[in-house]
Amino acid sequence: MKRFLLATAALVALGAGQQALAADDVIIGVVYPLTGNGAPVGLDAKAAYEVAADIINSTHAPIPMVMGAGGGLSGLGGAKIKLVFADSQNDPQKARAEAERLITQDHAIAIVGSYTSATGATISQVTERYEVPYMSADNSSPSLNQRGLKWFFRTSPHDEMFTAAMYQFFKDEGVKTGHPVGSVALFYEDSIFGTDSSTVQRKLAGEAKITVAADIKYRANSPSLSAEAQKLKAANADVIMPSSYTSDAILILRAMNEIGYKPKAIMAQAAGFQESAFLTGAGPLAEGAMSRSSFALDAGPARPAIGPVNALYKAHNNKDMNDNTSREITALMTLADAINRAGSAKPEDIRKALVATDIPGNQTIMPWAGIKFDETGQNVKGTPVIQQVTGGVYHTIWPFEVAVQPAVWGVGQ
Amino acid sequence: MALDTILQVVISGLLMGLIYALVAAGLSLIFGLMDVVNFAHGELMMVAMYAVFTLWQMTGLDPFILLPVVAALLFGLGVAIYRLLIARALSVRFNRGMVQIFVTFGLAIFIRGFMQFWYGGEFRSITTTWLANRTANVYGVYLPLPQVAAGVVCLAAFAGLLAISRTEFGRALEATREDREAVALIGIDRDRIFALGWGLGAATVGVAGVMLAGFYYVSPNVGANFALIAYVTVALGGFGSMFGALAAGLLIGEVEAITAQILEPSLKQVGMFAIYLAVLMFRPRGLFGKI
Repeated sequence: MKRFLLATAALVALGAGQQALAADDVIIGVVYPLTGNGAPVGLDAKAAYEVAADIINSTHAPIPMVMGAGGGLSGLGGAKIKLVFADSQNDPQKARAEAERLITQDHAIAIVGSYTSATGATISQVTERYEVPYMSADNSSPSLNQRGLKWFFRTSPHDEMFTAAMYQFFKDEGVKTGHPVGSVALFYEDSIFGTDSSTVQRKLAGEAKITVAADIKYRANSPSLSAEAQKLKAANADVIMPSSYTSDAILILRAMNEIGYKPKAIMAQAAGFQESAFLTGAGPLAEGAMSRSSFALDAGPARPAIGPVNALYKAHNNKDMNDNTSREITALMTLADAINRAGSAKPEDIRKALVATDIPGNQTIMPWAGIKFDETGQNVKGTPVIQQVTGGVYHTIWPFEVAVQPAVWGVGQ
Repeated sequence: MALDTILQVVISGLLMGLIYALVAAGLSLIFGLMDVVNFAHGELMMVAMYAVFTLWQMTGLDPFILLPVVAALLFGLGVAIYRLLIARALSVRFNRGMVQIFVTFGLAIFIRGFMQFWYGGEFRSITTTWLANRTANVYGVYLPLPQVAAGVVCLAAFAGLLAISRTEFGRALEATREDREAVALIGIDRDRIFALGWGLGAATVGVAGVMLAGFYYVSPNVGANFALIAYVTVALGGFGSMFGALAAGLLIGEVEAITAQILEPSLKQVGMFAIYLAVLMFRPRGLFGKI
């Protein structure tokens, strides 16, 4: 009975909340996997957006970043950002339907999303049709901004930029240690993220004259990856380059260990490898794994906003910001800044303001040069970093000028 | 391909196959007994994985020690599911088949949602066990000890199921399966047999879950990855046949491992589904099915 009363109270509160919605609130739809295999990432994303919206809306001591002053959108008379969350279940078709619902039923004037590139692809088709901006926070497939979309904007670097950084790191580290990378093994899941990531990795390997010793496409969420581990072991490349989400990332490290294979080096296309669940799940097996990242928690001195924002996030979600959550906060801040400058909640005005965006890097929490979109909606100033797991934590190891420690380099050993 | 690679592939397939077989055994048992396809079977395995994870977190004891506790818990859960849901679903007058499907399907969604609500969506792992991440190198072939242990326990569980089938209860189970109307006439409490059958089925998949948790991640969706293979295994081995489940599980494990070596790994399930289709076409009752 008590639970029933509680549930009723919650329902009433929910209804009341809707009624209390002020007319001038700016509604932004947020689409993430909140249930299913992507849920750990989606629920962290939800927390990140809530923190970002709180920084924009509430009154607090100013944080040295774009939209860090608080007190709502000054350009819209102090209007508040109101987030409406929708669950994609990591399914491209559900993501499409949810995006449509957010625009038509909830009157969202922009959509932010969506973790996986496969869902980002369908959401951005819906936003294009309804002519509202889609702010891609963390979809990393390079093909997404190459589709001639007018309403697509992406603050994060994409996998071509990330992969270019990886190969530049291989080159720099090879020169530094005298042990260059001779071969790589590509290991990627079978959706748009994995296949696009591998396409770029294969192309850049060719340009860098690095042999692709194995090219392994696998089925995401398979019960077992031992056969795949066998193939990686047989290839024994200098560097294994996985593009995998969390569950597969844990599984492949275990499967390699099970057949007594310790790779010389691992360079991950982030995703699952940057999740805390991966670090606990893989435990000591993750030690030495490298990953690209668009975020560096240890870049504190050059980015004074990281400290206060991370403190707020940690208070809300009981963990530090990571590659994904930092990009999500940055995406909402960038969108809010455009709405604020537009001084209007009309999608076309917001789009124009987004096109004119030019935020210096030190006004963000990212180690980037800044945020400025090209004609495809891609931020051209997002410069990635390379990190490595030591002592169970990711540390920045490249570019050398922002590195906090040298790489533990297994190639040539 | 070198000999040790071939051996390694065969052994990996064998070890995975034993897990598939034990997951399928519980499903086969319940189906064979009362013609109910339990769509929540993978979720029962997931519950067992969370149960052992929680007990391990609370007590720090090894999953081996916790195995009987979790199996008993799952037995109770199976009986409860029968008494509270399935018995009622069986008593409807119309569309009984559909009702059974929706009841177990709904149960699956409920369990999954509840576990995400209770534990959150995070992937969790049991990190400190006696065998965690340990391997043995036998003449160049690596044996992952947690999986070897799981394989041994699976075989023991099958031996246990065989032993049960020789008891009074086992014979009653078999009789109920043969003719559920007639057994009532000779004084067998059909309802009780069904409840125990559910308990046994759930406990079996619980054992599989506990052993799997020793080397696999735990998440609300983990059951789905295994459930599909379990359905294929049961259909392949023959509905209701314990030996069929074991043979089909091993076959599927091997076919999967070998297909992944020959074809692209993303197509590794093609081999198992091809065999499944062939069996459906030429021997619809499965390899060892009696029905």
